[in-house]
Amino acid sequence: MTFYLWVALMLFVSVLWLMWFLYRPLKTNAFNLEKSNIALGRQKQVELKQDLQASLIDEQAFEQANDEIAQTLAMEMEHTTDITVDTQKNVPLWLPVLIVVFLIGASWGIYQSLTSQSIVSAKLEIAPTLTQSISKIKQHVAEQPNDAEAWRALGLALFEFNDTKGSLEAYQRSYELKPKDVAMLVEYASTLATAQDNQFTGRVSTLVREALEIDENAPDALYLAGRVAVNAQQLGLAQKLWQKALSLLPEGQPDKAILQKMLDQLSKVQGGKKPISSQEEPASKLQVTIKVTLSERLRQAEFSHHYLMIYVKAARGRPMPIAIQKIKLKDFTGAVTLTDDNSVMPSKKLSQSSQVLAVARLSKSGSAMRQVGDIEALSQVINVRDNPTIELLLK
Amino acid sequence: MLPEIGHFALILALMATVLQVVLPSVGVWRGNFALTQLSRPLLWMQFFWIAVSFALLMNAFLVDDFSVKYVAGNSNTQLPSLFKMSAVWGAHEGSLLLWALILSAWSVAVSIFSKRLPSEVLNHILIILGLISIGFLLFLLLTSNPFERLDIVPMQGRELNPLLQDFGLIIHPPMLYMGYVGMAIPFAFVLSSLIRGQLDSTWLRWSRPWTLIAWAFLTFGITLGSWWAYYELGWGGWWFWDPVENASFMPWLVATALVHSLSVSEKRGAFKHWTVLLAISGFSLSLLGTFLVRSGILTSVHSFAADPARGLFILIFLVIVVGSSLGLYAWRAHLMRSSHQFAPFSRESGLLINNILLVAAMLSVFLGTLYPLLLDSLGLGKISVRAPYFDVVFVPIMIPAVLVMAVGAFLRWKKDSISRVVDLIIHIVFVILTLTLIVFLSIDNIFVVLALFLFAWIVLHSLTLLVQRLRQKGKPNMAFFGMIVAHIGIAVFLLGATVTTQYGVEKDIKMSLNETVEIKSYAFTFRGVENLNGANYTGSKGVIDVAYQGEKIATLRPEKRQYVTGMPMTEAAIDPSFYRDIYVALGESLGEGAWSLRLYYKPLIRWIWLGGLFIVFGALLAAFDRRYRLKVRIGV
Repeated sequence: MTFYLWVALMLFVSVLWLMWFLYRPLKTNAFNLEKSNIALGRQKQVELKQDLQASLIDEQAFEQANDEIAQTLAMEMEHTTDITVDTQKNVPLWLPVLIVVFLIGASWGIYQSLTSQSIVSAKLEIAPTLTQSISKIKQHVAEQPNDAEAWRALGLALFEFNDTKGSLEAYQRSYELKPKDVAMLVEYASTLATAQDNQFTGRVSTLVREALEIDENAPDALYLAGRVAVNAQQLGLAQKLWQKALSLLPEGQPDKAILQKMLDQLSKVQGGKKPISSQEEPASKLQVTIKVTLSERLRQAEFSHHYLMIYVKAARGRPMPIAIQKIKLKDFTGAVTLTDDNSVMPSKKLSQSSQVLAVARLSKSGSAMRQVGDIEALSQVINVRDNPTIELLLK
Repeated sequence: MLPEIGHFALILALMATVLQVVLPSVGVWRGNFALTQLSRPLLWMQFFWIAVSFALLMNAFLVDDFSVKYVAGNSNTQLPSLFKMSAVWGAHEGSLLLWALILSAWSVAVSIFSKRLPSEVLNHILIILGLISIGFLLFLLLTSNPFERLDIVPMQGRELNPLLQDFGLIIHPPMLYMGYVGMAIPFAFVLSSLIRGQLDSTWLRWSRPWTLIAWAFLTFGITLGSWWAYYELGWGGWWFWDPVENASFMPWLVATALVHSLSVSEKRGAFKHWTVLLAISGFSLSLLGTFLVRSGILTSVHSFAADPARGLFILIFLVIVVGSSLGLYAWRAHLMRSSHQFAPFSRESGLLINNILLVAAMLSVFLGTLYPLLLDSLGLGKISVRAPYFDVVFVPIMIPAVLVMAVGAFLRWKKDSISRVVDLIIHIVFVILTLTLIVFLSIDNIFVVLALFLFAWIVLHSLTLLVQRLRQKGKPNMAFFGMIVAHIGIAVFLLGATVTTQYGVEKDIKMSLNETVEIKSYAFTFRGVENLNGANYTGSKGVIDVAYQGEKIATLRPEKRQYVTGMPMTEAAIDPSFYRDIYVALGESLGEGAWSLRLYYKPLIRWIWLGGLFIVFGALLAAFDRRYRLKVRIGV
């Protein structure tokens, strides 16, 4: 049912409700104000007697209060002006017509005036208002040709309007004015790929790479990079990129289900092969070396069978380790080097990370979760790209 | 499409309200019965469309419709469903919609449960309530549309303020709004009486139960807010004299005065001027509270709507409401003559003194809240008025109010003799003074001695009164029991607030692993920190063992959360009991396994909220007194 049908239904229900009660008015209750005040005056006298019984008023004051109740009632009667209404009086015919016209006209008029400046109507009726939107944006970019955001909006609007050529021209202008806009690069690449019959090659690939250079964790750009990889028959790389995009999308995000579906399809295409990332790609040379110094106390024999867990975790976001080595303290030589081989998840390797924290934890149980009694040392934020070597002290 | 339907439903609600005001008014003017009787059906129609609008906004939250700006700004896919629902009133637009819905619900309740009110009176009341609704619906539609769409739909919404992701905040705002908006009912009763020129027994009798219910909700809302602030903000405090807290406290003080003033006006026909002015100022202060919170002129956890346009709208609305109602009062003042006379020493005098003290207390809060804003707006500098001011100004006003409150209930209507009352209470005073002396010799804190004195003063007087009334002929009514319970609630609150303030211990310390700190015989041992992974946050969870006299009584796990949007949040861990709370909040990691911690020992803190609940219960008992359910017999 369209919005307009809903509106018509809502108005119809309202009018029907109103007309029903206009011609079948609710019954009035049996008493008017005068009778109500008399009844309440009597009730107050009863309550006054109860107050007397409860010694809340003495005899003399009781008589006086009783008189006052009577006087108050007399005053109330004096001021009571009966509002006379004619229960038989007919409703003039023009009135319901006026009410219906008012209800429909005013409500729709207010709705129109309140929503004219928003894009609501554009969502409801794509064709006419999208044209209006496009002409407005075109007018705007004619007046302010250096507004990169407006060119991008025009690109998106023209794409929605199936004017791919115009859309690409607009995106190109936006690109020239603001080449470091990840969202624009992603939209531009998508539009270009559509224009190339969904071929994610050539300029599309360049634009996606530029987007990832600016933000390596942009899920949209990772998704497109996966499409580029699929186009190049690098299915393992595509799998890796989409897994990364998947891990970056928050739980419950609708795009997550789509990505998961594509990953499943990819697995079927690969025919159960192991992820190509571990077979085809050259191993990353990135590494983090962590030297751990133990205090005098921890060098005692009683700690020799404790577990030393040395790992890196993301400086922001999830606290679970990215790469880890777990060894008994007696076997520890003073330093460990973490590489992609020590990564906990294939989809989140050390070489895919940038800002991390190094952690050394001495634990009696060796449990992955930190336990009471564990001793821990934490580094400052380090950059994996620098192949850093850091020192931690456990006390 | 659903958000557009919600928006249109809101417009239909406005149209229904306009007709609710216009058609019955025309009906009265033209003497047309059918039109006068339309006020109730049109009100129900208004309620229905606002409810539809509210349900559709909630649906937009539940289905993560981020094309709606308000949803995208206050919810995300990771937010648990319960908090998605409460996120509807987590920010400005939705809370205004909730306000409009509650006002409509109150109006519907009045239209259904006021069957003993003559139709002509009820119609007038509904017209006034309709006018107030028009103001709020216009405010919503013109400045705060909750269904506004976004040009570009984000993939993910923003985080709801983590402070609001809590059970306390799910129910605190609706309860407080029930109280705020409920003050519109006595206001509408008064205004309809002023317009009709009939300030009579009918108005006084039937507005009292509504006032009591609104007062109960306001008390409950404030109590919930205090409880939430205590456990959620991580400061261990229960009242901060925050301007927004004050904004709800001012109408409460006036509503307290109003329920007492109404009792005199209703039974004896006196204090009509007072009652009218208190009803007007109670609702005006509710609107002022809305203005303070919504205009953005205050900076606190509550001020999530910094928009001068909105502030201007409410200010204009406030001026219209206050100006027109005071104008009506001035016009009709001559009708409030009363033949009632009472002696200086009487129950009426006691209630009048209490009323004056409550209004003076409200004015002290009003001054402390608005004076800094006035100075700031005049460019005369910024000052902060906090607890020391209120301790010096507010508390001394309330002490005599509490003393009079307990004794006032013993006084007779119209006139009484000092000797009679002294005879009645001399033994209570003797017992209290003896107890106070004993306490004074064993406790060196004068404030606690004073609080114990006042506690005993109220409780012993109330219980003595109860015993006396039960021994007399005739069963006391529910209103009497309500009064006793509410007064004891004040005593319980007072003792809890003083003891926790005076004897509470707070320590901000650095604790290393397995280090133990002792506070008031409670040993706190820091056992380290665990990782924390919630639905939409990660963080750290401290482990602190608490032992009393060598015996372990609890393990507390305070949390330090980092929400996905980067907002940090502290979740205190509490070991509650009737006599004391042990409260721990986790601070920052100081390296090498050490953390900063805030440890609190809070004696009798639960009594603060227990007192609030007593007052709520007392108010409800009084509201449902048999007298307000009696059918008025006609033509007897």
